[in-house]
Amino acid sequence: MDQIKGIAYQIAGDFGLAWGKFFAQVIIFILVYTILKKYAFGPILGMLEQRRQRIADGEAKLEKIARDAAEAKQNSQAIIDKAEADAARLVKEADDAAKAIQERRQQDAVASANTIIAKAREAAQLEQEQLMSQLKREFGRMVSDATSRVTGKVLNTDDQTRINQETATQVSA
Amino acid sequence: MLPSFLQPISFSPLLANVHSYASELQKESSNLGFLTNSLVVAAVVVGIILWFAGKATKNMTLIPHKAQNFFEFVVEFLYGQVEGIVGAKIAPRVFPLLATIFIYILVSNWFGLLPGIGTIGWGEGTGFMSVKEVHDPLLRPPTADLNMTFGLSVSMFLVWLYITIKEVGVWGFLVHTFGPKGGLKGLMGAMVAAVFLFVGVIEVFSIVFRPVTLSFRLFGNVLAGENVLHTMSGMGGFVGSVLAPFPFYFMELLVGLLQAIVFTLLSAVYIQLSTTHDDHGHEEDHH
Repeated sequence: MDQIKGIAYQIAGDFGLAWGKFFAQVIIFILVYTILKKYAFGPILGMLEQRRQRIADGEAKLEKIARDAAEAKQNSQAIIDKAEADAARLVKEADDAAKAIQERRQQDAVASANTIIAKAREAAQLEQEQLMSQLKREFGRMVSDATSRVTGKVLNTDDQTRINQETATQVSA
Repeated sequence: MLPSFLQPISFSPLLANVHSYASELQKESSNLGFLTNSLVVAAVVVGIILWFAGKATKNMTLIPHKAQNFFEFVVEFLYGQVEGIVGAKIAPRVFPLLATIFIYILVSNWFGLLPGIGTIGWGEGTGFMSVKEVHDPLLRPPTADLNMTFGLSVSMFLVWLYITIKEVGVWGFLVHTFGPKGGLKGLMGAMVAAVFLFVGVIEVFSIVFRPVTLSFRLFGNVLAGENVLHTMSGMGGFVGSVLAPFPFYFMELLVGLLQAIVFTLLSAVYIQLSTTHDDHGHEEDHH
């Protein structure tokens, strides 16, 4: 035991180990440890935690924004799909309505045209009849005049009526 | 009479004349005997660390300024490493100590590489402001003083003991150290229990010697680095004294970082080994 103690003392002497120097070094270390722990590591670790929390919050917000954006996109897509369906339906309805109107108008136009044609025909027929009767009268008068001039006889009413009728019959034929 | 292998070992420098102990600045005064050249440098190192920490933590913002950014990087990196070893539960309690140890050792090691540290001092004069060899340097790297490295390792040991007892209790620590593992019963179980009891005794020795191994590893590496640099600086005249140590400065930069990592990681591993509740193998202490 004494030998070990002797070796320990010798080593301590060779390397300058002494209680005073030892405690002085320990005190310096405790001093730097205490100050760093309280004024450096604490605030720095707090700041790192604060930043980590902020990043985590940011990531959570980012995820929420992404979720909201996806939801909004889904909603807008649904709205667009519905609008497209409505638009297609409206276009089809308008198309059908237009076709119906077009058909009706066409039918009306055809009917109007037929009416106009019929009226025109009636008017032409009437005018033709009027012209024909006027022609017959005129022709009968001319025949009567010619007959009276050729025969030198003054035609009475019966003769004129008979000649007119015969002329009209021949003109009609 | 000591056996031959325990005969007093001569620790006189093999290469350059770098003392294995820190020099006292007030040799005549017995009251200021603790005031050594390494203590002065330790105080300067502490001042630098506190100045930078103050600068980094002043007016902190979510978007960090340069000093804050660098300090945050260091703290975040170290916290990740410590948490990865000791676990998320213990990490908040031991991180400040381990981070302080790492930063303090690293800055001390690198500060010792500055020109003038260990090379300006008193010795046998050869002319005006010049000596043949510096016997008592004005400044000495704190980690080249066993008082400092031993102080660190003892502090670490006490914290380790406190955390271990608080986490698993005295009985839990004893069971963890001496208790048989494997769940064998009967004669085989008794034999295994005897083996584990013996292993526990070895483990206790290993634990007791941890402060010694931790402190001497760090001290030895830094002192050896000082010796190498001083030896190289004394070679080949002025040009040689500039060029020869140049590559070794890079090596010492690496050694300084490596020793800070080794000390911190080993301390973290010691804490992890004694605070885990499941069975783990015993740590290897041969670095």
